[in-house]
Amino acid sequence: MHASPAALAIAGLEKRYDDGTLALHGLDLEVPSGTFFGLLGPNGAGKTTLINAVCNLIRVSGGEIEIFGRPAASLEARRRVGLAEQDPNLDRFLTVREALLYHGGYYGLTRSRSVERAEEMIDVFDLGAKADVRAPKLSGGMRRRLLLARALLHEPGLVILDEPTAGVDVELRRELWRYIRRLHSEGTTILLTTHYLEEAEALCEEIALIAKGRIVARSTPEGLKRQFDARTLEDVYLKAVHEPVDAEVVA
Amino acid sequence: MNEGVAQPWRGLLWLSLRECLRVSKLWTQTMLAPVVSSILFIVVFGLSLGSRIREVSGFEYEVFIVPGLIAMAMAQAAYSNNSSSIFQARSDRYIDDVLAAPMHPWQMNLGLAIGGVFRALLIGVALVGLAIPLTGVPVEQPLALVAAILLLVALFGALGVVVGIYAETFDHHTFVNNIVILPLTFVGGVFYSIEILPSPWEEISHANPVFYLVNAVRYGFLGSSDVSVALSFAVTVAITVAVVAWSQYLFSTGRKLKP
Repeated sequence: MHASPAALAIAGLEKRYDDGTLALHGLDLEVPSGTFFGLLGPNGAGKTTLINAVCNLIRVSGGEIEIFGRPAASLEARRRVGLAEQDPNLDRFLTVREALLYHGGYYGLTRSRSVERAEEMIDVFDLGAKADVRAPKLSGGMRRRLLLARALLHEPGLVILDEPTAGVDVELRRELWRYIRRLHSEGTTILLTTHYLEEAEALCEEIALIAKGRIVARSTPEGLKRQFDARTLEDVYLKAVHEPVDAEVVA
Repeated sequence: MNEGVAQPWRGLLWLSLRECLRVSKLWTQTMLAPVVSSILFIVVFGLSLGSRIREVSGFEYEVFIVPGLIAMAMAQAAYSNNSSSIFQARSDRYIDDVLAAPMHPWQMNLGLAIGGVFRALLIGVALVGLAIPLTGVPVEQPLALVAAILLLVALFGALGVVVGIYAETFDHHTFVNNIVILPLTFVGGVFYSIEILPSPWEEISHANPVFYLVNAVRYGFLGSSDVSVALSFAVTVAITVAVVAWSQYLFSTGRKLKP
């Protein structure tokens, strides 16, 4: 029996922007299929650049990315990724229902399946009252719900959530995590970035810490605490992410 | 969890439908305004002033200007629609939903260009439907007219895509329309035959690519043209291929679309 390929396998990933900024510096990372994986790091560490590279939203400078054993640029790989970006980027001309329906179409769902999934997502994320309202007229919380509903609509095997609870009230955050946990229990791989360390500790089976475009540590939350001789994940974060920087300054 | 194969043709279809939906939702701006302004041109320049102008190239003035006015309206519609739609999608970043989707680059390019083609063709049909009873303009060469119109919408639709990708502000796309497309169309023989121009303006007019496009459309309607029909089509095809290749290059490489 063959082991299932990693949900995400990244080797030697480099990204240098046109202005010369080196955002990813030979990054290696493997996210096993079916895990709830956290990616933590300070602003500017390269988290969003990494996610954009996985989702074909930037031109990478070097390295390889595979999704479930397929090159990330292949149609089969893209079909299996769902992304909820950090900032709501919703089509201003479409209503909630249309945004979901058209997203399903872009991802190759039949019309009937897309309609069915759109209604399911409207129900799950409690968007029914606003189903025929265009995105610019939605509140911040409703936009966030729609963004997540859109990311999950085509039933991706790898769901990438880039700070999904930033600016979200406690109620929605709880609802969201209840649903994401259920998805995970059904076998969906989750890659989460967040600044809420307690959230990462409670949800993630494994965590990688990223700084200056490289993975600087990776283990289970308990494993990281042991590795860094730390009492909390916050201590781990501060040691792993900032101490190498301080060391370089001293050197 | 869906592990099914990618269906990029469905993606193309839905992206095309999305662009057409945008045109229909904004119909007063995308359809009504250009049709009304073109009809006003025909009424004011053709029917009012036309009686004071002798025939041009053997046609009554109001008949002579109709093909060029229709070409101008369609060109502007195809260009403006695509440049503004893509600029907005880039500006608000909802283009990411398309760029991340399982579609080939050419399907993204074509899907995003369809809105301009759809809008231009609707305007063209509306204007022909109104201009025939108003002026009696004939359609002498229907096949040539269809070919010229398809080239026109492909050329200006692709140009709109390119400008929509390069534009950094909303002003950039209106700048290209007001400073490049509109002047080239006006001096491209929409309102006059270049035969009446003194030298060197007649010769200079031959360097204007829009002049050949206007003449290809005019040949389709009137069966006559200021220059060889073969030359009009050859120049138009060459420019269309170049601009479509440019837009495809941007999608294939991700340049300007992706950081």
